Amino acid sequence: MEITAITEWECCWDRDSIVMGDCPNIGEGDEDLLSSRSRRILEKCCECEKFKRDLARFRDSGHPLAPIFSILHADYRRQKTQIQSLANFLDTKTLEVRFLHELGSVLQSSVDLDEVLSVALTAITAGKGFGMNRAFLLLADKERHILKGHLAIGPRSAEEAGQTWQEIESGDQDLQGLSQLFLKDKLTAERNKFHDILERLIIPLDDEQHIIARALEERKPVLVTDAFHRQDLDIDFARLLGVDTFLVLPLIARNRRVGVIIADNFITHRTITEQDMRSIETFTFPVAFAIERASLYERVQEEVDKLKHANLRLQEQQEQLVRMEKMALVGRITSSIAHSIRNPLMVIGGFARSILKNTPDNDPKRTFIESIVTEARQLEEVLGEILTYSDALFPTCDFWDPNQLVESALRDVQERAVAQDYSCHFHAGEQLPSVYIDFKQTTYCIRNILLSTIDGLYNGIIDVSTRVEGDHVNVRIVDRNRTLSEDELEALLTPFTETCEMGSGLNMALSRSMLDKQNIPLVVVAPPEGGVTYTIKLPTRKEEQPYE
Amino acid sequence: MSKLLVVDDEANIRLLYSEELTDEGYTVETAANIAEAVEKLGQQSFDLAVLDIKLKNESGIELLQKIVKERHDMPVILCSAFSCYKDDFSAWLADSYVVKSGDLTELKEEIKRVLAKKAQRRASGL
Repeated sequence: MEITAITEWECCWDRDSIVMGDCPNIGEGDEDLLSSRSRRILEKCCECEKFKRDLARFRDSGHPLAPIFSILHADYRRQKTQIQSLANFLDTKTLEVRFLHELGSVLQSSVDLDEVLSVALTAITAGKGFGMNRAFLLLADKERHILKGHLAIGPRSAEEAGQTWQEIESGDQDLQGLSQLFLKDKLTAERNKFHDILERLIIPLDDEQHIIARALEERKPVLVTDAFHRQDLDIDFARLLGVDTFLVLPLIARNRRVGVIIADNFITHRTITEQDMRSIETFTFPVAFAIERASLYERVQEEVDKLKHANLRLQEQQEQLVRMEKMALVGRITSSIAHSIRNPLMVIGGFARSILKNTPDNDPKRTFIESIVTEARQLEEVLGEILTYSDALFPTCDFWDPNQLVESALRDVQERAVAQDYSCHFHAGEQLPSVYIDFKQTTYCIRNILLSTIDGLYNGIIDVSTRVEGDHVNVRIVDRNRTLSEDELEALLTPFTETCEMGSGLNMALSRSMLDKQNIPLVVVAPPEGGVTYTIKLPTRKEEQPYE
Repeated sequence: MSKLLVVDDEANIRLLYSEELTDEGYTVETAANIAEAVEKLGQQSFDLAVLDIKLKNESGIELLQKIVKERHDMPVILCSAFSCYKDDFSAWLADSYVVKSGDLTELKEEIKRVLAKKAQRRASGL
């Protein structure tokens, strides 16, 4: 066979070095290839049309090695394409691993269920994530043995999709930023938006015929196609989702069924591939663990709260025990005082009265005996007040009718009022709520105020009324017959002081103290122009009662 | 004439009650403790008992319970130095309650009232 000698080649492969412009495939950044012939041939010439034409000419030259060169060249190009493809695959996988790592870090660091769910569903639907259009999360309710719709994310219309995706595009947020934004601004809105679907997404966990329950039971993701015509899927369920193709991704953590994610391309109808399914499947493992952990944390938190509450109650009960011990102590002391003082007083007063009965009116010692009787009676009264005061330290509250309370106090003073020609007008409020008070002590206080009002005066009128004001029922006692100066008003409410006008101050001070113990305000107003108004604000709600 | 039993650990108080109530026309027997009271109750019949709640190391309430159990037809008036005993449910077994005072008017009125009530009950056959 005749071999044609070729002396000129179209490509530059036969030159040791070239200058910029000699090779159409060498441009800026490839300068080092100009002087490196071997690299130039491998990287540029093999793909160059000029080289291919040179190779064809060589093949046509009849040289016996020419066909071998063509075979080697073709195989080289095939392998190069394969390597490129593998490199692209590796790049994709590297990106995926980085993405999963980033998500994993976020998921691992969170124990907030809403945050975990926001990250998970954002990752599935974001373009920078898995790029699905919508995602629904169904969580397993183990008590009710059902899977129930919990949260969803994604657009419900093409218009909304366009707007949302444009916002995301212009925001240039990374995945973590997007999920945080979702958690902060959109979680509740998305839950409400999909409420109608979520509340109907209920699947019995043990329904083996249902493809979703089965996927969870078998712990395998499923790409559901032709959803409207499947035996293992309720047509209503498919209609609810509104798509015929979707992914079902079981969430399993520590061998436990946590829930299911359903993802679809409701808007774009982009084909969901096996590769999509495998990628998202990898992602579901950390999601399931994170949901499980966050749920457990929530439960632990609930238990911690219960413990805190129990601890608080224990402390309260301890304090109450201490108070009861104090009460017992006060009881013992007052009982002791009562017997130590009252019995001798009683004997002194009693015998003085006996002697007085048998003492003639003109007996010069009668005045002395009368003094003993009077002083003993006064001491008995003071002792009675002191004992009542100690009794008032610990009120026992319950709900009572405020009108009944006032009527009881008015009955107690009626005899005295009649004797002094006093009229008490009671304006009872209608349909009053019950008030939370110590009935005995509060009656005592109202009675004391009424007695103080009529003390030393005759032929007057007292107006008493009850009326609701906010969370209180106000008992108002208006005395128009008396005028008090500022000093007298202050003295009136100070224990163990006396005013010229109103006698011993203990009763009124005791009343205020008793009311204070029950957190009941007593307001006394005595304007210079005359009259005194007492307002007792009785609570209609049960609140903490301070004892100290 | 009604016969009263006065139980108080204080000798002077027993004397005072005895003097004053005798003046009122009652026949008065006294006892200083539960044992003495039980002994007298076993030996004699009384129309009414006046009991002090606090009897040294004993409780008048205990005696009250005995009387209510064994002599349920005999009324009892409790006397005490401290009104908080009113809050003791056991004290509610008594027919009346009086806070001790040198002025025996309240006690005397209560005795009259309780005896009248007893008489009324008897008259109506209860």
